Amino acid sequence: MEIDKKKCVGCGNCHAVCTMGVIYLDEDGKSVVNQDECVECFTCYRVCRNEGYNPWFVRALRRILSFFKLGYLAEVDVCPTGALNPPQLEWPRSIRAQFSDPTTTHPGTGIRGRGTEEIKTNDVTGRLRRGEIGLIVEIGRPGTGAFFRDIEKVAVALAKLKPHFESKNPVTQLMVNPETAKLREDILNEKVLSAIIEAKIELERIPEFLHALEQIQKEIDTVISVGMASKCLPDGTIPHEEWGRKAGYTLSPNGKTNIGLGRPLFKENEL
Amino acid sequence: MTNTLHRQGSLESLKGDYVIFATTAKGITHEGSGPKLQEFIRICFKYHPVNMGSGELGNVHQDDMDIDKLIATQKDGSRVEAVFTDLDALQKVIEELIRADLGLSINISGLLEEVQQCCRKAGLERHSVEHSLGFWGAKDRLPEREILEFNTMCGHGMVSFNFIRKMLEYVKLRRLTPKKAARIMAKCCECGAFNPVRAEMLLEKVRQGKK
Repeated sequence: MEIDKKKCVGCGNCHAVCTMGVIYLDEDGKSVVNQDECVECFTCYRVCRNEGYNPWFVRALRRILSFFKLGYLAEVDVCPTGALNPPQLEWPRSIRAQFSDPTTTHPGTGIRGRGTEEIKTNDVTGRLRRGEIGLIVEIGRPGTGAFFRDIEKVAVALAKLKPHFESKNPVTQLMVNPETAKLREDILNEKVLSAIIEAKIELERIPEFLHALEQIQKEIDTVISVGMASKCLPDGTIPHEEWGRKAGYTLSPNGKTNIGLGRPLFKENEL
Repeated sequence: MTNTLHRQGSLESLKGDYVIFATTAKGITHEGSGPKLQEFIRICFKYHPVNMGSGELGNVHQDDMDIDKLIATQKDGSRVEAVFTDLDALQKVIEELIRADLGLSINISGLLEEVQQCCRKAGLERHSVEHSLGFWGAKDRLPEREILEFNTMCGHGMVSFNFIRKMLEYVKLRRLTPKKAARIMAKCCECGAFNPVRAEMLLEKVRQGKK
């Protein structure tokens, strides 16, 4: 994101809205974006609607109010002068928006958001079948963001255990070689709001993979949201539940349920 | 909307927070799905969701969006979702979706036991389930629990920690009502997964100095 200094009146509304907290007031009293840390989610642009005031008018008003020791308090979800300016992004910076702006489509998967269907369409795709577990490792979430160099560290650590990285996943598609999980060199210094590594493993290997994650989590300076998914047994039992608990992990009471209304239903037995 | 999975909060608070969403699969259910997604929205809307939206178009709390526009602008492969605060409404939505037989993949985020009971009452057994194993890594970078409860209500993390702090402060100072502050936060969450009613309840507690 860029801010037009000719228009900015330094109200600071966009500072709080910024998902990464990287907009700040410059010495000239106008807002500026730390471009290294901005993830191009465009939230500031979408949320702070342009009130369309003349910058000269707003600045004059602020000075007058300031003279009387009064503050200028704009509504929290406006940019009084429309100073936020979404730039045309070139590669590799454009990858920031692909992973951070939910209105942008991932070119490799054709999906917006974090770019993967994971279990959401498992009823029709059969992405996870009996005996298989989906390990969903979202790096940078909640609210801290992640550089691809950190995402690569986690992916490489998991790759040593030889999982099957989901091919219809944008992070897998950035791997130079899924066997090593090394990512493209030109994106390593790009930062995103979060990115999901999606690996398919066998049920009994849950402890091994979670142990590897335990180790690598200490080497990155961001947070990880970890999830685990599987196809239920005919009676609704969740296969990974027992294994997760046996391995010593607490599973959330809430989660995501695919209720199986997709058609045609994927049938493994007919393969 | 990938991770409505990691919503944080007490069991009591999560009891009023269910997100139902329709998804299509490329090459299987994607093509020709536009009218089915429109029907999904109509069905959900009948049971008074507290939020609805689509990543492509925004949510009904945004200034330039309403339910008619949301329906009219659906196209093949859009992802739409609705938030409910009670299980009775959710159950009715599930039953009507079964009757409508749209063929879309339907997922629900919420307390797993409650959702399973809902499905069973409607004559369904759940197909697949995803659990959260919580937050790992540099957890010292995370804010306090109450901030996370708001932040995780947007699956894409569009409601920033700082904005939540600002809203909490404005509510405490009575510059904003909890309802207004919750609605403004809901605007940030493009897909409409944010639960403004739950947010309002949490903000009301803050206003009253409760923990």
